[in-house]
Amino acid sequence: MPAMSGMASPPASASATTADAPVPQGGTAVSISDFKFNPATLTVPVGATVTWTNNDEEPHTIAAKDGSFHSPGMDTHGTYSFTFTTPGSYDYMCSIHPFMTGTVVVTK
Amino acid sequence: MSTENDPGGMTRRQLMRHSAWFGAAVVLTVAGGEVISHVAGSSGAAQQATPALRFAQISDSHIGFKGPANTNVTDTFNHAIGQINGLGYTPDFVIHTGDLTHLSTPDQFDQVKHMLGELNTPHVFTVPGEHDSTDDAGQKYRQAFGAGTRGDGWYSFDVAGVHVIGLVNTLNMQKLGHLGADQLEFVEKDVAGLSSDTPIIVFSHIPLFAMYPDWGWGTEDAAQALSYLKRFSSVTCLNGHVHQLFSKTEGNVTFYSATTTAYPLPAPGQGPAPKPVTLPAGKLRDALGIREVSYTKGQQALALKDQKLT
Amino acid sequence: MKIMDLAIRTAISATLAVSGVVHAYLYIHGYRDIPAVGPAFLVQGSVFCALAVLILAGGPGWLQLFAAIGAAGSLVAFALSRTVGLFGFTETGWQPAPYAAITVVVEVLTLVLVVTAALRQRPRASKYLLPDLSPDGAAEPSARQG
Repeated sequence: MPAMSGMASPPASASATTADAPVPQGGTAVSISDFKFNPATLTVPVGATVTWTNNDEEPHTIAAKDGSFHSPGMDTHGTYSFTFTTPGSYDYMCSIHPFMTGTVVVTK
Repeated sequence: MSTENDPGGMTRRQLMRHSAWFGAAVVLTVAGGEVISHVAGSSGAAQQATPALRFAQISDSHIGFKGPANTNVTDTFNHAIGQINGLGYTPDFVIHTGDLTHLSTPDQFDQVKHMLGELNTPHVFTVPGEHDSTDDAGQKYRQAFGAGTRGDGWYSFDVAGVHVIGLVNTLNMQKLGHLGADQLEFVEKDVAGLSSDTPIIVFSHIPLFAMYPDWGWGTEDAAQALSYLKRFSSVTCLNGHVHQLFSKTEGNVTFYSATTTAYPLPAPGQGPAPKPVTLPAGKLRDALGIREVSYTKGQQALALKDQKLT
Repeated sequence: MKIMDLAIRTAISATLAVSGVVHAYLYIHGYRDIPAVGPAFLVQGSVFCALAVLILAGGPGWLQLFAAIGAAGSLVAFALSRTVGLFGFTETGWQPAPYAAITVVVEVLTLVLVVTAALRQRPRASKYLLPDLSPDGAAEPSARQG
Protein backbone atom coordinates (compact mmCIF):
# COMPACT_ATOMS: atom_id res chain seq x y z
CA MET A 1 0.00 0.00 0.00
CA PRO A 2 1.47 3.37 -0.93
CA ALA A 3 2.31 5.15 2.28
CA MET A 4 2.69 8.51 0.64
CA SER A 5 0.51 9.36 -2.30
CA GLY A 6 2.78 11.90 -3.88
CA MET A 7 1.29 15.31 -4.34
CA ALA A 8 3.24 18.56 -4.01
CA SER A 9 6.71 17.65 -2.81
CA PRO A 10 8.57 20.18 -0.71
CA PRO A 11 11.69 21.91 -2.05
CA ALA A 12 14.06 20.01 0.21
CA SER A 13 14.26 16.28 0.54
CA ALA A 14 10.96 14.75 1.52
CA SER A 15 11.84 11.34 2.77
CA ALA A 16 9.36 8.51 3.08
CA THR A 17 11.23 6.32 5.48
CA THR A 18 10.44 3.42 7.72
CA ALA A 19 11.18 3.32 11.40
CA ASP A 20 14.65 1.92 10.73
CA ALA A 21 16.01 5.13 9.26
CA PRO A 22 17.64 7.30 11.88
CA VAL A 23 15.48 10.23 12.87
CA PRO A 24 17.44 13.45 13.28
CA GLN A 25 17.78 14.02 16.99
CA GLY A 26 17.96 17.27 18.80
CA GLY A 27 16.72 20.58 17.57
CA THR A 28 15.18 19.79 14.22
CA ALA A 29 12.92 16.86 14.95
CA VAL A 30 9.23 16.89 15.75
CA SER A 31 7.52 13.70 16.76
CA ILE A 32 3.81 13.15 16.41
CA SER A 33 2.19 10.89 18.92
CA ASP A 34 -1.16 10.72 20.62
CA PHE A 35 -2.33 13.39 18.20
CA LYS A 36 0.17 15.93 19.51
CA PHE A 37 3.25 17.57 18.04
CA ASN A 38 6.26 17.22 20.29
CA PRO A 39 7.72 19.76 20.79
CA ALA A 40 4.72 21.96 20.15
CA THR A 41 7.04 24.86 19.44
CA LEU A 42 10.37 24.24 17.77
CA THR A 43 12.95 26.93 17.27
CA VAL A 44 15.52 26.49 14.50
CA PRO A 45 17.98 28.71 12.69
CA VAL A 46 17.20 29.75 9.14
CA GLY A 47 18.28 27.12 6.63
CA ALA A 48 17.54 24.23 8.96
CA THR A 49 15.55 21.22 7.82
CA VAL A 50 12.82 20.14 10.18
CA THR A 51 11.69 16.52 10.05
CA TRP A 52 8.35 15.36 11.38
CA THR A 53 7.83 11.71 12.21
CA ASN A 54 4.37 10.21 12.67
CA ASN A 55 4.33 7.72 15.52
CA ASP A 56 0.55 7.46 15.60
CA GLU A 57 -1.56 4.76 14.04
CA GLU A 58 -3.62 7.41 12.29
CA PRO A 59 -2.30 9.38 9.34
CA HIS A 60 -1.45 13.04 9.81
CA THR A 61 -0.36 15.93 7.64
CA ILE A 62 1.68 19.04 8.24
CA ALA A 63 -0.10 22.06 6.83
CA ALA A 64 1.18 25.58 7.31
CA LYS A 65 -1.48 28.11 8.15
CA ASP A 66 0.01 30.53 5.64
CA GLY A 67 0.14 27.78 3.04
CA SER A 68 3.93 27.75 2.71
CA PHE A 69 4.13 24.00 3.15
CA HIS A 70 1.67 21.13 3.07
CA SER A 71 2.82 17.56 3.43
CA PRO A 72 1.16 14.61 1.76
CA GLY A 73 -0.69 12.24 4.06
CA MET A 74 1.85 10.65 6.42
CA ASP A 75 0.94 7.16 7.45
CA THR A 76 2.33 5.42 10.53
CA HIS A 77 6.10 5.93 10.75
CA GLY A 78 5.96 8.23 7.76
CA THR A 79 8.20 11.31 7.80
CA TYR A 80 8.15 14.68 6.17
CA SER A 81 10.92 17.26 5.96
CA PHE A 82 10.90 20.90 5.09
CA THR A 83 13.76 23.37 4.91
CA PHE A 84 12.99 26.82 6.23
CA THR A 85 14.71 29.45 4.16
CA THR A 86 12.96 32.50 5.56
CA PRO A 87 12.93 33.56 9.20
CA GLY A 88 9.58 33.96 10.90
CA SER A 89 7.02 32.10 12.93
CA TYR A 90 5.19 29.35 11.12
CA ASP A 91 1.99 28.04 12.66
CA TYR A 92 0.92 24.70 11.27
CA MET A 93 -1.67 22.07 11.93
CA CYS A 94 -2.71 18.65 10.77
CA SER A 95 -5.26 19.14 8.01
CA ILE A 96 -6.97 15.88 8.94
CA HIS A 97 -7.18 16.68 12.64
CA PRO A 98 -7.10 20.47 12.85
CA PHE A 99 -7.14 20.52 16.62
CA MET A 100 -3.49 19.44 16.38
CA THR A 101 -1.36 22.55 16.12
CA GLY A 102 2.29 23.41 16.36
CA THR A 103 4.73 26.20 15.56
CA VAL A 104 8.17 26.42 14.05
CA VAL A 105 10.06 29.58 14.90
CA VAL A 106 12.83 30.28 12.44
CA THR A 107 15.49 32.62 13.71
CA LYS A 108 18.01 34.53 11.66
CA MET B 1 -51.31 -4.29 54.99
CA SER B 2 -51.39 -7.69 56.67
CA THR B 3 -52.17 -7.50 60.35
CA GLU B 4 -50.28 -10.63 61.20
CA ASN B 5 -47.06 -9.95 63.01
CA ASP B 6 -45.02 -13.07 62.81
CA PRO B 7 -41.63 -12.26 64.36
CA GLY B 8 -40.08 -15.25 62.62
CA GLY B 9 -40.68 -13.77 59.14
CA MET B 10 -43.45 -14.27 56.66
CA THR B 11 -46.09 -16.88 56.96
CA ARG B 12 -46.82 -19.04 53.99
CA ARG B 13 -50.03 -17.16 53.41
CA GLN B 14 -48.18 -13.86 53.39
CA LEU B 15 -45.60 -15.16 50.98
CA MET B 16 -48.29 -16.35 48.61
CA ARG B 17 -50.06 -13.05 48.89
CA HIS B 18 -46.93 -11.04 48.11
CA SER B 19 -46.06 -13.36 45.26
CA ALA B 20 -49.51 -12.87 43.83
CA TRP B 21 -49.13 -9.10 43.88
CA PHE B 22 -45.67 -9.38 42.37
CA GLY B 23 -47.01 -11.64 39.66
CA ALA B 24 -49.81 -9.20 38.99
CA ALA B 25 -47.26 -6.39 38.70
CA VAL B 26 -45.23 -8.34 36.16
CA VAL B 27 -48.26 -9.31 34.12
CA LEU B 28 -49.64 -5.78 34.12
CA THR B 29 -46.26 -4.31 33.17
CA VAL B 30 -45.79 -6.67 30.27
CA ALA B 31 -49.36 -6.17 29.13
CA GLY B 32 -48.96 -2.43 29.39
CA GLY B 33 -45.73 -2.59 27.44
CA GLU B 34 -47.39 -4.61 24.69
CA VAL B 35 -50.23 -2.14 24.42
CA ILE B 36 -47.90 0.86 24.29
CA SER B 37 -45.65 -0.80 21.70
CA HIS B 38 -48.61 -1.74 19.60
CA VAL B 39 -49.94 1.79 19.67
CA ALA B 40 -46.47 3.10 18.82
CA GLY B 41 -46.22 0.69 15.95
CA SER B 42 -49.48 1.78 14.45
CA SER B 43 -49.70 5.37 15.57
CA GLY B 44 -51.17 7.60 12.92
CA ALA B 45 -53.39 6.11 10.28
CA ALA B 46 -50.62 6.42 7.73
CA GLN B 47 -48.31 4.06 9.63
CA GLN B 48 -50.23 1.08 8.32
CA ALA B 49 -49.06 2.00 4.86
CA THR B 50 -45.48 1.47 3.73
CA PRO B 51 -43.19 4.28 4.78
CA ALA B 52 -42.90 7.00 2.14
CA LEU B 53 -39.09 6.86 2.22
CA ARG B 54 -36.61 4.25 3.38
CA PHE B 55 -32.87 4.63 3.12
CA ALA B 56 -29.72 3.26 4.68
CA GLN B 57 -26.71 5.02 6.15
CA ILE B 58 -23.21 3.59 6.13
CA SER B 59 -20.12 5.45 7.25
CA ASP B 60 -16.38 5.66 7.83
CA SER B 61 -15.23 2.68 5.79
CA HIS B 62 -11.59 3.90 5.85
CA ILE B 63 -10.54 1.70 2.95
CA GLY B 64 -6.76 1.51 3.15
CA PHE B 65 -6.54 1.34 6.93
CA LYS B 66 -4.18 -1.30 8.23
CA GLY B 67 -3.93 -1.61 11.96
CA PRO B 68 -4.69 -3.94 14.84
CA ALA B 69 -8.06 -2.30 15.42
CA ASN B 70 -9.30 -3.89 12.17
CA THR B 71 -6.96 -5.92 10.03
CA ASN B 72 -9.43 -6.13 7.17
CA VAL B 73 -11.59 -3.07 6.68
CA THR B 74 -12.45 -4.22 3.17
CA ASP B 75 -14.02 -7.33 4.58
CA THR B 76 -16.12 -5.53 7.18
CA PHE B 77 -17.22 -2.94 4.62
CA ASN B 78 -18.21 -5.72 2.23
CA HIS B 79 -20.13 -7.35 5.02
CA ALA B 80 -21.97 -4.12 5.79
CA ILE B 81 -22.89 -3.76 2.12
CA GLY B 82 -24.19 -7.31 2.17
CA GLN B 83 -26.25 -6.49 5.24
CA ILE B 84 -27.86 -3.56 3.48
CA ASN B 85 -28.57 -5.73 0.46
CA GLY B 86 -30.19 -8.25 2.80
CA LEU B 87 -32.61 -5.87 4.51
CA GLY B 88 -35.64 -7.40 2.82
CA TYR B 89 -36.48 -4.27 0.86
CA THR B 90 -34.64 -2.05 -1.57
CA PRO B 91 -33.68 1.21 0.12
CA ASP B 92 -34.60 4.29 -1.90
CA PHE B 93 -30.97 5.35 -1.59
CA VAL B 94 -27.87 4.74 0.50
CA ILE B 95 -25.81 7.54 2.03
CA HIS B 96 -22.15 7.16 2.97
CA THR B 97 -21.31 9.89 5.49
CA GLY B 98 -17.63 10.14 4.75
CA ASP B 99 -14.09 8.86 5.32
CA LEU B 100 -14.68 6.47 2.47
CA THR B 101 -10.91 6.13 2.06
CA HIS B 102 -8.23 6.26 4.70
CA LEU B 103 -5.53 8.13 2.79
CA SER B 104 -7.25 9.63 -0.30
CA THR B 105 -5.21 7.54 -2.72
CA PRO B 106 -6.51 6.94 -6.26
CA ASP B 107 -6.55 3.18 -5.63
CA GLN B 108 -8.59 3.58 -2.50
CA PHE B 109 -11.14 5.79 -4.23
CA ASP B 110 -11.42 3.27 -7.06
CA GLN B 111 -11.92 0.44 -4.64
CA VAL B 112 -14.60 2.22 -2.61
CA LYS B 113 -16.45 3.32 -5.71
CA HIS B 114 -16.45 -0.23 -7.00
CA MET B 115 -17.64 -1.64 -3.70
CA LEU B 116 -20.45 0.91 -3.38
CA GLY B 117 -21.55 -0.17 -6.82
CA GLU B 118 -22.46 -3.52 -5.31
CA LEU B 119 -25.29 -1.97 -3.31
CA ASN B 120 -28.78 -2.86 -4.55
CA THR B 121 -30.21 0.63 -4.56
CA PRO B 122 -31.13 3.18 -7.21
CA HIS B 123 -28.74 5.79 -5.91
CA VAL B 124 -25.73 6.12 -3.62
CA PHE B 125 -24.94 9.53 -2.10
CA THR B 126 -21.77 10.49 -0.26
CA VAL B 127 -20.22 13.35 1.65
CA PRO B 128 -16.44 13.50 2.08
CA GLY B 129 -14.56 13.00 5.31
CA GLU B 130 -11.25 14.61 6.21
CA HIS B 131 -9.48 11.36 5.28
CA ASP B 132 -10.85 11.80 1.76
CA SER B 133 -8.96 15.07 1.29
CA THR B 134 -5.62 14.59 3.05
CA ASP B 135 -3.52 16.23 0.37
CA ASP B 136 -5.61 17.79 -2.36
CA ALA B 137 -8.50 19.72 -0.81
CA GLY B 138 -10.90 17.07 -2.06
CA GLN B 139 -10.02 16.97 -5.76
CA LYS B 140 -9.79 13.21 -6.04
CA TYR B 141 -12.96 12.82 -3.96
CA ARG B 142 -14.88 15.10 -6.29
CA GLN B 143 -13.53 13.29 -9.34
CA ALA B 144 -14.90 10.05 -7.96
CA PHE B 145 -18.08 11.20 -6.25
CA GLY B 146 -18.67 14.84 -7.06
CA ALA B 147 -20.96 14.50 -10.07
CA GLY B 148 -23.90 16.83 -9.72
CA THR B 149 -22.55 18.62 -6.67
CA ARG B 150 -21.67 22.24 -6.17
CA GLY B 151 -18.70 24.01 -4.71
CA ASP B 152 -16.60 21.61 -2.66
CA GLY B 153 -19.18 18.87 -3.09
CA TRP B 154 -22.45 19.94 -1.50
CA TYR B 155 -25.90 19.29 -2.92
CA SER B 156 -29.57 18.85 -2.14
CA PHE B 157 -32.47 16.89 -3.53
CA ASP B 158 -36.11 16.11 -2.81
CA VAL B 159 -37.54 12.65 -2.43
CA ALA B 160 -40.97 11.53 -1.22
CA GLY B 161 -41.73 14.98 0.14
CA VAL B 162 -38.51 15.10 2.13
CA HIS B 163 -35.77 17.64 1.45
CA VAL B 164 -32.26 16.22 1.76
CA ILE B 165 -29.09 18.31 1.98
CA GLY B 166 -25.53 16.98 1.75
CA LEU B 167 -22.91 19.22 3.35
CA VAL B 168 -19.12 19.26 3.24
CA ASN B 169 -17.54 20.33 6.51
CA THR B 170 -14.11 18.74 6.24
CA LEU B 171 -12.24 21.32 4.18
CA ASN B 172 -10.61 24.55 5.30
CA MET B 173 -10.87 23.42 8.87
CA GLN B 174 -9.30 25.47 11.64
CA LYS B 175 -9.98 23.53 14.79
CA LEU B 176 -13.41 22.13 14.06
CA GLY B 177 -15.44 21.28 11.00
CA HIS B 178 -16.07 24.20 8.69
CA LEU B 179 -18.86 24.95 6.24
CA GLY B 180 -17.80 28.33 4.87
CA ALA B 181 -19.71 31.31 3.56
CA ASP B 182 -20.51 29.89 0.11
CA GLN B 183 -22.00 26.74 1.51
CA LEU B 184 -23.98 28.65 4.16
CA GLU B 185 -25.41 30.85 1.45
CA PHE B 186 -26.36 27.71 -0.46
CA VAL B 187 -28.26 26.35 2.56
CA GLU B 188 -30.07 29.62 3.12
CA LYS B 189 -31.25 29.89 -0.47
CA ASP B 190 -31.93 26.19 -0.78
CA VAL B 191 -34.58 26.03 1.92
CA ALA B 192 -36.04 29.50 1.43
CA GLY B 193 -38.99 28.34 -0.65
CA LEU B 194 -39.94 25.24 1.33
CA SER B 195 -42.98 25.03 3.57
CA SER B 196 -42.17 24.68 7.25
CA ASP B 197 -43.70 21.23 7.54
CA THR B 198 -41.30 19.78 4.97
CA PRO B 199 -39.10 17.25 6.76
CA ILE B 200 -35.44 18.15 6.35
CA ILE B 201 -32.55 15.70 6.49
CA VAL B 202 -28.96 16.95 6.55
CA PHE B 203 -25.94 14.74 5.93
CA SER B 204 -22.45 15.74 6.97
CA HIS B 205 -19.29 13.94 8.00
CA ILE B 206 -18.39 15.83 11.14
CA PRO B 207 -21.22 16.38 13.65
CA LEU B 208 -23.05 19.67 13.26
CA PHE B 209 -23.28 19.97 17.04
CA ALA B 210 -20.57 20.27 19.66
CA MET B 211 -20.09 16.62 20.54
CA TYR B 212 -16.50 17.00 21.76
CA PRO B 213 -14.69 20.07 20.45
CA ASP B 214 -11.34 19.12 21.99
CA TRP B 215 -11.11 16.33 19.44
CA GLY B 216 -12.54 18.39 16.62
CA TRP B 217 -15.97 16.78 16.99
CA GLY B 218 -18.01 19.82 16.09
CA THR B 219 -18.53 22.37 13.30
CA GLU B 220 -17.66 25.95 14.02
CA ASP B 221 -20.23 27.60 11.77
CA ALA B 222 -23.00 24.99 11.97
CA ALA B 223 -25.10 27.25 14.17
CA GLN B 224 -25.60 29.59 11.27
CA ALA B 225 -26.68 26.78 8.97
CA LEU B 226 -29.08 25.47 11.57
CA SER B 227 -30.53 28.94 12.05
CA TYR B 228 -31.81 28.73 8.48
CA LEU B 229 -33.61 25.54 9.46
CA LYS B 230 -35.15 26.83 12.69
CA ARG B 231 -38.64 27.26 11.28
CA PHE B 232 -38.99 23.66 10.12
CA SER B 233 -40.89 21.23 12.30
CA SER B 234 -38.67 18.25 11.58
CA VAL B 235 -34.91 18.50 11.04
CA THR B 236 -32.72 15.42 11.31
CA CYS B 237 -28.95 15.60 10.98
CA LEU B 238 -27.04 12.40 10.25
CA ASN B 239 -23.28 12.37 10.53
CA GLY B 240 -20.30 10.04 10.79
CA HIS B 241 -16.74 10.82 11.86
CA VAL B 242 -16.98 9.77 15.50
CA HIS B 243 -17.29 6.04 14.85
CA GLN B 244 -19.94 5.54 17.53
CA LEU B 245 -23.66 5.87 17.95
CA PHE B 246 -24.75 9.05 19.62
CA SER B 247 -27.85 11.18 19.49
CA LYS B 248 -28.89 14.56 20.77
CA THR B 249 -31.91 16.80 20.40
CA GLU B 250 -31.55 20.55 20.39
CA GLY B 251 -34.79 22.39 19.83
CA ASN B 252 -36.34 21.21 16.58
CA VAL B 253 -33.19 19.40 15.43
CA THR B 254 -32.20 15.85 16.26
CA PHE B 255 -28.63 14.76 15.56
CA TYR B 256 -27.71 11.12 15.07
CA SER B 257 -24.10 10.03 14.77
CA ALA B 258 -23.62 6.72 13.00
CA THR B 259 -21.07 4.07 13.76
CA THR B 260 -18.35 2.94 11.38
CA THR B 261 -17.68 -0.17 9.35
CA ALA B 262 -13.95 0.03 10.11
CA TYR B 263 -12.77 0.52 13.70
CA PRO B 264 -14.13 2.05 16.89
CA LEU B 265 -12.94 5.28 18.47
CA PRO B 266 -13.05 6.08 22.19
CA ALA B 267 -16.01 7.84 23.74
CA PRO B 268 -15.45 11.57 24.19
CA GLY B 269 -12.63 12.17 26.64
CA GLN B 270 -11.93 8.47 27.22
CA GLY B 271 -8.26 8.65 26.38
CA PRO B 272 -5.74 11.18 25.15
CA ALA B 273 -6.89 11.30 21.55
CA PRO B 274 -9.42 9.90 19.05
CA LYS B 275 -7.23 7.01 18.03
CA PRO B 276 -8.39 3.59 16.83
CA VAL B 277 -9.44 1.31 19.67
CA THR B 278 -8.42 -2.32 19.47
CA LEU B 279 -11.15 -4.41 21.05
CA PRO B 280 -10.78 -7.93 22.45
CA ALA B 281 -11.04 -10.68 19.86
CA GLY B 282 -14.55 -11.21 18.59
CA LYS B 283 -15.89 -7.89 19.88
CA LEU B 284 -15.13 -5.76 16.82
CA ARG B 285 -18.32 -6.51 14.91
CA ASP B 286 -20.48 -5.33 17.80
CA ALA B 287 -18.96 -1.88 17.47
CA LEU B 288 -19.52 -1.66 13.72
CA GLY B 289 -22.81 -1.35 11.93
CA ILE B 290 -25.27 0.15 9.51
CA ARG B 291 -28.41 2.18 9.98
CA GLU B 292 -31.88 2.06 8.46
CA VAL B 293 -33.95 5.25 8.34
CA SER B 294 -37.56 5.57 7.32
CA TYR B 295 -40.00 8.41 6.99
CA THR B 296 -43.75 7.93 7.12
CA LYS B 297 -46.15 10.66 6.12
CA GLY B 298 -47.88 12.06 9.15
CA GLN B 299 -45.03 11.24 11.53
CA GLN B 300 -42.76 14.12 12.31
CA ALA B 301 -39.79 12.17 13.60
CA LEU B 302 -37.86 9.82 11.36
CA ALA B 303 -37.64 6.22 12.50
CA LEU B 304 -34.09 4.97 12.87
CA LYS B 305 -32.86 1.46 13.38
CA ASP B 306 -29.19 0.82 14.01
CA GLN B 307 -27.90 -2.66 13.24
CA LYS B 308 -24.65 -4.17 14.40
CA LEU B 309 -22.49 -5.99 11.91
CA THR B 310 -23.58 -9.59 12.10
CA MET C 1 -57.62 7.80 59.13
CA LYS C 2 -58.58 5.03 56.81
CA ILE C 3 -60.05 7.69 54.56
CA MET C 4 -56.74 9.50 54.75
CA ASP C 5 -54.81 6.37 53.86
CA LEU C 6 -57.15 5.74 50.96
CA ALA C 7 -56.75 9.31 49.81
CA ILE C 8 -52.98 9.11 49.91
CA ARG C 9 -52.99 5.81 48.09
CA THR C 10 -55.26 7.21 45.42
CA ALA C 11 -53.04 10.24 45.06
CA ILE C 12 -49.91 8.08 44.69
CA SER C 13 -51.70 6.03 42.07
CA ALA C 14 -52.70 9.16 40.22
CA THR C 15 -49.19 10.61 40.17
CA LEU C 16 -47.79 7.32 38.90
CA ALA C 17 -50.46 7.10 36.24
CA VAL C 18 -49.75 10.60 34.99
CA SER C 19 -46.00 10.01 34.79
CA GLY C 20 -46.46 6.61 33.13
CA VAL C 21 -48.95 7.88 30.60
CA VAL C 22 -46.81 10.88 29.70
CA HIS C 23 -43.75 8.67 29.17
CA ALA C 24 -45.81 6.26 27.10
CA TYR C 25 -47.19 9.12 25.04
CA LEU C 26 -43.73 10.53 24.37
CA TYR C 27 -42.47 7.05 23.46
CA ILE C 28 -45.22 6.73 20.88
CA HIS C 29 -44.51 10.19 19.52
CA GLY C 30 -40.85 10.13 18.66
CA TYR C 31 -38.87 9.08 21.72
CA ARG C 32 -39.10 5.50 20.56
CA ASP C 33 -36.15 5.93 18.24
CA ILE C 34 -33.70 7.37 20.67
CA PRO C 35 -31.06 4.81 21.63
CA ALA C 36 -31.42 3.43 25.18
CA VAL C 37 -33.65 6.29 26.29
CA GLY C 38 -36.47 5.22 23.97
CA PRO C 39 -36.85 1.70 25.39
CA ALA C 40 -36.41 3.15 28.88
CA PHE C 41 -39.48 5.32 28.32
CA LEU C 42 -41.44 2.24 27.32
CA VAL C 43 -40.38 0.42 30.47
CA GLN C 44 -41.12 3.40 32.67
CA GLY C 45 -44.58 3.87 31.18
CA SER C 46 -45.47 0.21 31.57
CA VAL C 47 -44.13 -0.15 35.09
CA PHE C 48 -45.66 3.08 36.39
CA CYS C 49 -49.09 2.33 34.95
CA ALA C 50 -48.98 -1.18 36.38
CA LEU C 51 -47.95 0.14 39.81
CA ALA C 52 -50.67 2.79 39.65
CA VAL C 53 -53.32 0.13 39.18
CA LEU C 54 -51.99 -2.18 41.87
CA ILE C 55 -51.43 0.51 44.47
CA LEU C 56 -54.94 1.80 43.94
CA ALA C 57 -56.17 -1.77 44.39
CA GLY C 58 -54.55 -1.84 47.80
CA GLY C 59 -51.43 -3.87 47.22
CA PRO C 60 -48.61 -4.35 49.72
CA GLY C 61 -46.34 -1.54 50.81
CA TRP C 62 -43.35 -2.66 48.79
CA LEU C 63 -45.23 -1.57 45.67
CA GLN C 64 -45.06 1.97 46.97
CA LEU C 65 -41.39 1.52 47.72
CA PHE C 66 -40.77 0.53 44.09
CA ALA C 67 -42.87 3.45 42.98
CA ALA C 68 -40.72 5.82 45.01
CA ILE C 69 -37.52 4.30 43.68
CA GLY C 70 -38.90 4.56 40.16
CA ALA C 71 -39.90 8.18 40.65
CA ALA C 72 -36.51 9.06 42.09
CA GLY C 73 -34.81 7.28 39.21
CA SER C 74 -36.94 9.15 36.68
CA LEU C 75 -36.02 12.45 38.28
CA VAL C 76 -32.31 11.57 38.23
CA ALA C 77 -32.54 10.54 34.58
CA PHE C 78 -34.29 13.81 33.78
CA ALA C 79 -31.56 15.80 35.52
CA LEU C 80 -28.88 13.87 33.66
CA SER C 81 -30.55 14.53 30.32
CA ARG C 82 -30.36 18.25 30.94
CA THR C 83 -26.75 18.23 32.07
CA VAL C 84 -24.13 15.64 31.25
CA GLY C 85 -26.37 13.58 29.01
CA LEU C 86 -28.08 10.23 29.39
CA PHE C 87 -26.62 7.61 27.04
CA GLY C 88 -25.67 10.49 24.81
CA PHE C 89 -29.09 12.05 24.81
CA THR C 90 -29.56 15.61 25.94
CA GLU C 91 -32.29 18.18 25.82
CA THR C 92 -32.43 21.73 27.00
CA GLY C 93 -34.58 23.44 29.56
CA TRP C 94 -38.08 22.08 30.01
CA GLN C 95 -38.49 20.51 26.62
CA PRO C 96 -40.71 18.87 25.65
CA ALA C 97 -43.09 21.37 27.17
CA PRO C 98 -45.34 20.90 29.04
CA TYR C 99 -44.67 17.19 29.42
CA ALA C 100 -41.31 17.56 31.11
CA ALA C 101 -42.60 19.90 33.78
CA ILE C 102 -45.67 17.72 34.37
CA THR C 103 -43.64 14.59 34.96
CA VAL C 104 -41.19 16.33 37.27
CA VAL C 105 -44.05 17.67 39.38
CA VAL C 106 -45.90 14.36 39.66
CA GLU C 107 -42.75 12.38 40.33
CA VAL C 108 -41.80 14.69 43.18
CA LEU C 109 -45.36 14.31 44.45
CA THR C 110 -44.99 10.54 44.26
CA LEU C 111 -41.95 10.71 46.50
CA VAL C 112 -43.64 13.06 48.97
CA LEU C 113 -46.78 10.94 49.15
CA VAL C 114 -44.95 7.63 49.56
CA VAL C 115 -42.88 9.08 52.38
CA THR C 116 -46.03 10.47 53.98
CA ALA C 117 -47.73 7.11 53.72
CA ALA C 118 -44.68 5.38 55.15
CA LEU C 119 -44.49 7.76 58.11
CA ARG C 120 -48.14 7.11 58.83
CA GLN C 121 -47.41 3.40 59.08
CA ARG C 122 -45.01 3.80 61.96
CA PRO C 123 -46.30 2.06 65.05
CA ARG C 124 -47.83 4.61 67.39
CA ALA C 125 -46.11 3.76 70.65
CA SER C 126 -47.64 6.88 72.15
CA LYS C 127 -51.15 5.61 71.82
CA TYR C 128 -50.36 2.95 74.36
CA LEU C 129 -48.30 5.10 76.71
CA LEU C 130 -50.28 8.31 77.00
CA PRO C 131 -53.83 8.46 78.21
CA ASP C 132 -56.29 9.88 75.80
CA LEU C 133 -57.03 13.37 77.02
CA SER C 134 -59.65 14.15 74.39
CA PRO C 135 -62.69 16.17 75.40
CA ASP C 136 -64.91 13.14 75.80
CA GLY C 137 -62.83 12.40 78.87
CA ALA C 138 -62.22 8.69 78.28
CA ALA C 139 -58.96 7.70 79.96
CA GLU C 140 -58.26 4.59 77.91
CA PRO C 141 -55.97 4.61 74.88
CA SER C 142 -57.77 5.03 71.62
CA ALA C 143 -56.75 5.33 68.03
CA ARG C 144 -56.24 8.94 67.17
CA GLN C 145 -57.57 10.50 64.07
CA GLY C 146 -54.59 10.91 61.78
